[in-house]
Amino acid sequence: MTREEAVEKAKKVRFVILDIHGVLTDNTLYYTQEGVKSEAFSLHDRLGVTALVEAGIGVSFLTSKISRADEQMGKIYGIPPERLWGSSAKIGRLDEFEKESGFKDEEICYVGDEMIDLGIMGRVGFSAAPADGSWEARGKADHVTAAGGGRGVVRELAQFILEAQGRWEGFVAQFK
Amino acid sequence: MLCEKDIASAQERAKKVRLFAHDIHGVLTTNNLFCDVEGNKRYGFWHMDGFGDLSLTANDIKIAYLDTTSIDGEGLFRARELKLDKCYYSIADKTAKLQELMGEMGIDYSAVGYLGCELSDIAPMKKVGFGVATADAIDEVKAVAHYVTNCAGGKGAMREICEFILRAMGKWDGWVEKVTRMGYK
Repeated sequence: MTREEAVEKAKKVRFVILDIHGVLTDNTLYYTQEGVKSEAFSLHDRLGVTALVEAGIGVSFLTSKISRADEQMGKIYGIPPERLWGSSAKIGRLDEFEKESGFKDEEICYVGDEMIDLGIMGRVGFSAAPADGSWEARGKADHVTAAGGGRGVVRELAQFILEAQGRWEGFVAQFK
Repeated sequence: MLCEKDIASAQERAKKVRLFAHDIHGVLTTNNLFCDVEGNKRYGFWHMDGFGDLSLTANDIKIAYLDTTSIDGEGLFRARELKLDKCYYSIADKTAKLQELMGEMGIDYSAVGYLGCELSDIAPMKKVGFGVATADAIDEVKAVAHYVTNCAGGKGAMREICEFILRAMGKWDGWVEKVTRMGYK
């Protein structure tokens, strides 16, 4: 896939579905001495989500199970609770979403990093993987970000999509 | 460095693995211990290593967490998360535990793989059929290893070696296909 081909696919994107572990996080699970699990997210990605949402592109989380950390990050990123999807049947969840929203495969972008994501990555119009995603996920993806998981993947991807659609400058203008 | 190993012979050894054992700190973690100003500790585990575990168990290879340096039970927290708590052993002697597990399974050392990084891993690694060192293991461990991962401990070494084993067995592509279809369930 050339960059030009990826740009063509990104032009059609109207909705972005994000895997969490290894995409929004740096792949590391931190356990406290009491056994409580925590993860590291990137605040760069908050800007990425904001840019997409302001451009009218919806964003959702899709992971096997939504944790309280994911709910908290959803709040911080500005993703409504009904868009935090917990399902290990990712393609089934995609079907359900397309049915209720009317979006088609080619209007959807999915970002994933592991083999479990391959099926849904093959379905959607535009798929992306982080720089440190698994070999299979990077091989399948239409676009691989320069950023690794938890290091601004969504920030970078939002720019890629909005630049493809000629809308990035408009988003940046409000900060100048 | 002692990283150059004979890949073909490592693959031959990997093919025979039916029990895969590993250390915790420095293998599943980066050997860092994060301690806040109140004295609360935390330990970082690599998320994708869990997929490595799943890949082996789904392909009938048994896993063993051999933990000799547990501080807060952190290795058990991780094993429990992966529903592998039955495969977690907090022990003093890794070789003795391996022998016990081998007896139960009716296998010998040639069917045992081991991933390690520290001095305490040298004894089991010298015995097993397929000994593996992490990219950042100490030189003494790399010297006795049949293979050295490209990933460092706590940064995907376990995920990498699980893939190596299944590839050597010719099972990887089938497994990838199976997982790709999992999204439909």
